[in-house]
Amino acid sequence: MDLLGNLALGFGVALQGINLLYAFFGVLLGTLIGVLPGIGPVATIAMLLPVTFTLPPVSALIMLAGIYYGAQYGGSTTAILVNLPGESSSVVTTLDGYQMARQGRAGPALGIAAIGSFIAGTFATFLIALAAPPLADVALKFGPAEYFSLMVLGLIAATVLAHGSLIKAIAMVVLGLLLGLVGTDVNSGVARFNFAIPELSDGIGFVTVAMGMFGIAEIVANLDTAEKREVFTAKLTHLLPTAKDFKDSAGAITRGTLLGSALGILPGGGALLASFAAYTLEKKAAKDASRFGKGDIRGVAGPESANNAGAQTSFIPLLTLGIPSNAVMALMIGAMMIQGIAPGPQVMTEKPDLFWGMIASMWVGNLMLVILNLPMIGLWIKLLTVPYRLLYPAILLFCCIGVYSVNNSTFDIFLMVGFAVLGYVCVKLACEPAPLILGFILGPMMEENLRRALLLSRGNPMTFLEKPISATLLAIAALLLLVVVAPAVRQKREEAFQE
Amino acid sequence: MRIKNAKDFWAGLMFLAFGVGFMVVARNYAMGTAVRMGPAYFPTVLGGILAFLGLVVFLRSFFIRPEAVGLFRLRPMAIVLAAIIVFAVTLKPLGLVVSTILLIVIGSFASHEFTWRAALVLAVVLAAFSVAVFFYGLGLPFNVWPAFLE
Amino acid sequence: MRRVALFLALVLTLVAPVPAAAQGAVPAYPTKPIRFVVPFPPGGPLDITARAIGQKLTEAWGQPVVVDNRPGAGGSLGAELVAKAPADGYTLLMGAVSTHAINPHLYARVGYDPFRDFVPVALVAEVPNVLVVNPALPVNSVAELVALARAKPGYLNFGSGSTGSTGHLAGELFKSLAGVDMVHIPYKGAAPAMQDLLGGQVQLMFDNLASAAPQVKAGKLRALAVTTAQRSPAMPDLPTVNEAGVKGFDLSTWFGVFVPAGTPPEIVAKLNAGIVAALESKELRERLAAMGAEPRAGNTPAAFAAFVRAENAKYARVVKESGAKVD
Repeated sequence: MDLLGNLALGFGVALQGINLLYAFFGVLLGTLIGVLPGIGPVATIAMLLPVTFTLPPVSALIMLAGIYYGAQYGGSTTAILVNLPGESSSVVTTLDGYQMARQGRAGPALGIAAIGSFIAGTFATFLIALAAPPLADVALKFGPAEYFSLMVLGLIAATVLAHGSLIKAIAMVVLGLLLGLVGTDVNSGVARFNFAIPELSDGIGFVTVAMGMFGIAEIVANLDTAEKREVFTAKLTHLLPTAKDFKDSAGAITRGTLLGSALGILPGGGALLASFAAYTLEKKAAKDASRFGKGDIRGVAGPESANNAGAQTSFIPLLTLGIPSNAVMALMIGAMMIQGIAPGPQVMTEKPDLFWGMIASMWVGNLMLVILNLPMIGLWIKLLTVPYRLLYPAILLFCCIGVYSVNNSTFDIFLMVGFAVLGYVCVKLACEPAPLILGFILGPMMEENLRRALLLSRGNPMTFLEKPISATLLAIAALLLLVVVAPAVRQKREEAFQE
Repeated sequence: MRIKNAKDFWAGLMFLAFGVGFMVVARNYAMGTAVRMGPAYFPTVLGGILAFLGLVVFLRSFFIRPEAVGLFRLRPMAIVLAAIIVFAVTLKPLGLVVSTILLIVIGSFASHEFTWRAALVLAVVLAAFSVAVFFYGLGLPFNVWPAFLE
Repeated sequence: MRRVALFLALVLTLVAPVPAAAQGAVPAYPTKPIRFVVPFPPGGPLDITARAIGQKLTEAWGQPVVVDNRPGAGGSLGAELVAKAPADGYTLLMGAVSTHAINPHLYARVGYDPFRDFVPVALVAEVPNVLVVNPALPVNSVAELVALARAKPGYLNFGSGSTGSTGHLAGELFKSLAGVDMVHIPYKGAAPAMQDLLGGQVQLMFDNLASAAPQVKAGKLRALAVTTAQRSPAMPDLPTVNEAGVKGFDLSTWFGVFVPAGTPPEIVAKLNAGIVAALESKELRERLAAMGAEPRAGNTPAAFAAFVRAENAKYARVVKESGAKVD
């Protein structure tokens, strides 16, 4: 394969003035909507679809892709600044990113997120250029049994997200799994735990849970500190990461990039796991993990890099197989169809300018994001100096509108109130919400794949061990379980508990 | 016997209640068998695990290091949640502008640094912002003004 | 007189992008934005077509037509919403085979009556499904597939986007008409089902033509037949399931516009004229053809109503035979 020739073709397309302009418009718009919690790229891209009728196909797709990964960048900004994860991938960013912001280190957190994401994006883009078709074949090797085993691994990793009591973290994961099961059961079509409420028949939305348990519950908890003046952050220190920050995060960025790139290839929820997996890896790889959950920069650098790498490589199934990994990709398929392009395996050979142009534009777009976002850090930090009594009502409003906009349903706002109460109770009882969220995301996928795998194997549970990929994943899961519950680790945990 | 760790005492009870609750509701659905699971199978198993974990946390709370549940201050929570509920109820009939103003003004009461002036100014600014950004900018389908005025 | 006015309205919507210039007998409509409810998440062919039509109507009538996605319960939530909306022509529904023919028979309860609560306006598209198999499966025709399924009962798996989708019901109908046993594997949407079909986890699928065609062209899947009674112009060499020996097979996915019952007939006529004009525009014709949809002559509200009745009656039978049920 003539990689250089293809890349030259791609950059030739991506660097055309008009396409640069659309890429810039895309990443700018993406960043802005990403910053608004709950307003996902889905609503924005859907609205822009009619506009793309009139654009050349390459420009249209470059813009839509820009919105997608721009929104990923913007999402981490809100997660770090005000503890609002608008996307599942930003949940782990809140763990250490928000703590850094509370300690006046929002600048370094945002900076390392942007730089880590850029490095990850660059790597992932070249990975797509080099090896998209063989990687897509790997993705097809993942059937229901393999996905189930991957989810098991993810769930064990979820308990590592908490820094307090292990048993409560496991309980929160299980509670999350159960909440994720609300709604219509894919296998039987039975609506479960919906209490005859039609709005619950498709389950509880992620944004509803995240806004309630993270956003609103955090506001209420902050307002608790009644006697003191409500100050949000300590004194702001650095605007950008220091040399020490870079040194600390270099390993995390590398590991996150590799892990995220690998997981992003899997269309059935791989990219969702990327940031969670990276956090677990960092916490377990660290010699001194005691600062995780309390503002460790590695807890931002790793997951953010993984997230962005995964966001890029999740284009592989779309571009080479025509299979969308998520709702945004499904919209991009729609955009291709509008343009009369049949999304599928032959896009690469029949429309090389589109294929390579999009890949090249991803790198260009990532560069634009860094250039756009680094200067904006100063501005975001200024936002934190706004008195909290003015800041929190605004956050309330954004939560409400964000939750509403997902389904245009006021019911979801009421549901968010319920999760806010649950979140507040959990804060008071020292039960951390992050493991619950991961359980919530994985629950339906896990059950679905478990039952589907058993349906395909006609009820033979050995299917999980007979398939080599699945068996390997389960072995890693068992190993991780050992690491998590090993007595030495427990002792360390109890020490942390006693401090 | 005395509760030593109140946080775990209540957390254990909460998990227990959720676990049992899911198991009870799941009884409405078909259980199936381990190889052909019905819709009730997975939630029943998980509910059982959660209830067990809850029980462990609950029992453990009598023995481990004491820890009190922090102060539950109902006022800020009640006000914040009431503001959100008012927003949800008024959004469709009264439109985005009115419901935003109500949300901000009521929500602002939760702070002990509340002043009418700041709340009203903030409400108007944010109402203008949300109409500009969410309605015009992002084209989200809102009623901007009360339905009876249109 | 009314016919003249209608004709005038039709001509005007075709020719002049002037907001409701046709005064006279026709009430001024539209005078405010129209809400176009799509009862599915954004991005599918139905949503995209709704947006394209919405844009055409906006251009023609000078009032914004805003697409409002209200997904849930196989489209039933959005349909219920429109059923209860005021019958003034300012709330439209992009209904589908699921909302108006399948769900009322599939779900234990739906919050609307597909006939009593709606007036059909226009059929937008009818798209065949295609019976595709993973190329590793050693069959080249429907007859060979049936032979294999007979030789190994319960060996084959067919995937579908959800329980009660046309893909699922087509498989169940195939089972009962061909007298074979296959296992239905439901997925959460057509994309993951396609992924497992490409990966060989399931062996066959009754997928919609738009998403199957590129895979067939690239040699990643093998097409055996189309599910409609007539061959599709998009794949003219492909036999129908009927021709290939499974008699009585005729299924398709369709969608069309509905308004709440009680909407004035003038408004329904104007909407029908506007939508038909949009469908006949060059861009939409091309896009619909790319999806495998065929243009339909005589697309009147009455013809659409008859079509919906026939479809509803057909699925009453198919759903019952398939034994599919959603509580």
